[in-house]
Amino acid sequence: MISVQNLNKTFTLTKQQRKELNTEQKTATAVHDLSFSCQPGRVFSLLGPNGAGKTTTLRMIATLLAPSSGQIQINGLDALINPQEARKQIGFLTGSTGLYARLTPLEIIDYFADLYGVEKSVREQRKEELFSLLHMNDFLHKRIGKLSTGMKQKVSICRTMIHDPSVVIFDEPTSGLDVITAENIIKLIRSCKDQGKTVIFSSHIMSEVDLLCDDLAIIHQGALKYNGTMADFRANMQTTNLTEEFIRIVQTPNAQL
Amino acid sequence: MIFRIFRKELLDTLRDRRTLMTMLVIPILVFPITLNVFLAVSESFEESANSKTMKIGIVGDHNKNYTRQLEQIPAAVGPKKIIVFKDSLTLRKAIEADRIQLGLIIPTNESTLRAKQQTIALNWLLDASEVGRSERANLYGSSLQANAEKERLRKLGLRAEQIKPLSIQTINCASDKKMVGQLAGGILPYIFIAFGFIGCMYPAIDLFTGEKERGTLETLLTVPVGRWKILIGKMLVVVSSGMLAASCSLLGLFISIEFLDLAQNKELLEVIHGILTPYFIGSMLALLLPLVIFFAGVMIPIAIYAKSFKEAQSIITPLNIVMVLPAMVGFFPGIELNLNTTLIPVVNVVLATKELIAGTLSLSYFLSVFGIMCLLALLSVLISYKQFGKESNILS
Repeated sequence: MISVQNLNKTFTLTKQQRKELNTEQKTATAVHDLSFSCQPGRVFSLLGPNGAGKTTTLRMIATLLAPSSGQIQINGLDALINPQEARKQIGFLTGSTGLYARLTPLEIIDYFADLYGVEKSVREQRKEELFSLLHMNDFLHKRIGKLSTGMKQKVSICRTMIHDPSVVIFDEPTSGLDVITAENIIKLIRSCKDQGKTVIFSSHIMSEVDLLCDDLAIIHQGALKYNGTMADFRANMQTTNLTEEFIRIVQTPNAQL
Repeated sequence: MIFRIFRKELLDTLRDRRTLMTMLVIPILVFPITLNVFLAVSESFEESANSKTMKIGIVGDHNKNYTRQLEQIPAAVGPKKIIVFKDSLTLRKAIEADRIQLGLIIPTNESTLRAKQQTIALNWLLDASEVGRSERANLYGSSLQANAEKERLRKLGLRAEQIKPLSIQTINCASDKKMVGQLAGGILPYIFIAFGFIGCMYPAIDLFTGEKERGTLETLLTVPVGRWKILIGKMLVVVSSGMLAASCSLLGLFISIEFLDLAQNKELLEVIHGILTPYFIGSMLALLLPLVIFFAGVMIPIAIYAKSFKEAQSIITPLNIVMVLPAMVGFFPGIELNLNTTLIPVVNVVLATKELIAGTLSLSYFLSVFGIMCLLALLSVLISYKQFGKESNILS
């Protein structure tokens, strides 16, 4: 379970950034007073246009960034007080995830299994399951640099799931992928849900959200615009389709669903 | 966990051809290639200077006295051909056009000066920018001088000792090791330090900026391992790479001497054999280790801060000059390890290594240099840690 309470994140702007953003302000607020919770066995979608603060929010949940204020709990554990313990329960995958090009998939998986402290006996079984599920056995010993995008994506998935996390964070996981490769991610999210894991993923593609999510939050300019179940969202729509409704909520100040 | 990170980063680094070149191949080859080229060039110059016929133009040698003396100088010194010129102006033009290589001008009153037993001023004309000309003129001049002295002493009925009441000689009490240490000792630490720096450079950029640029750092920082452990694991690879590059240059020196026989000077060879001992190598590596950690600690914050490989390279490459230039202090005689120079990083290691080669490094100075470099290394590691913890640096 993920619980986020009154989360805020403010960045100090450098001179260069102020010049680029054409602003006199010394700070920029990326996330403002955000609160929501994600339940186990359900898929939670964080929806928002580019620059809405989705990645910053997910990075704070993954303990990569420290919030300026607010609270984050991962399965009841305070992620700010004990980030290392929280990380053990998290799997983090982004669309831009890079892999070590000079290593093989097997070397990468073993490395991350070691970093997550996965026991040797458990690891071998887990590796066998994941390699078989993702059809990775044919390219386990090839260097990453020589693999196709689809193969790399499978390695990334395997790396994310090797320690069997109970909370899985996906930051725009299908961004830049073709439909066949993106299908692996869709399958993974469904499989995580079936296993009772807590899943949160960010996206700006409504069709993907419609396909997968049980609960959603829409954020715009760092602030929460909507938080509820997907069923309620559909039931109370004021436009004819999901994309139009998303645009309406984002573009209308104080929009009501 | 630090060792696990170190192992993975080392494997990754060793599979990078660019790093392998700067870490292993170039340091091993630098001494054999440099010495080989130096030897070949000097041999070729010597051979060409000795085999080339030197045309000597003479003006004013009316009774052929000097021509005869020059002809009597053995051909082993180098072949020569003597050509008589009528005036010095034509001779000068011939030298400028390189038709003649040496010109000897004998004064018109040479017979009178000789008869009166006065000093005869001979003038050599030559193009001193050409290799070997001055040396050949000095050689011929010494021979003419010796002949003239002998003739004058004979006429005066004197023996050479009678006009040479003192014979002053200088006896060098310094050992060959000390001499070579002082004169050529600067080049060795310079090369070790330069390779220590270059060896750190690519791994530092690759393991920090490269990882950020390739998007792997974000993933790495989500694992339940302390950030300082990740930093130390990576830093160990950077330091190992620098130490390996410096050690490989030492290995290259050993190969050049032992297997390729590229050190021809007997004294130099003996001295180098003398310094290639476990004591020297151990002491040198002990001095080099904190320096290489310091280098890594200076490069890593830059590599963390840089947004791209290119940006990191463009900042660290000029830094190479700032860091390695002080190592050239070892080339200058007279600069010694003292309380002031002990405090200057890089300079202190160069001077200590120079004294180590000369066999004059005291334990107190060794410990002082080691201690100061350890403090600086620690400080640079703390700065690296601070930079590695900054959110703005680690996420693109």
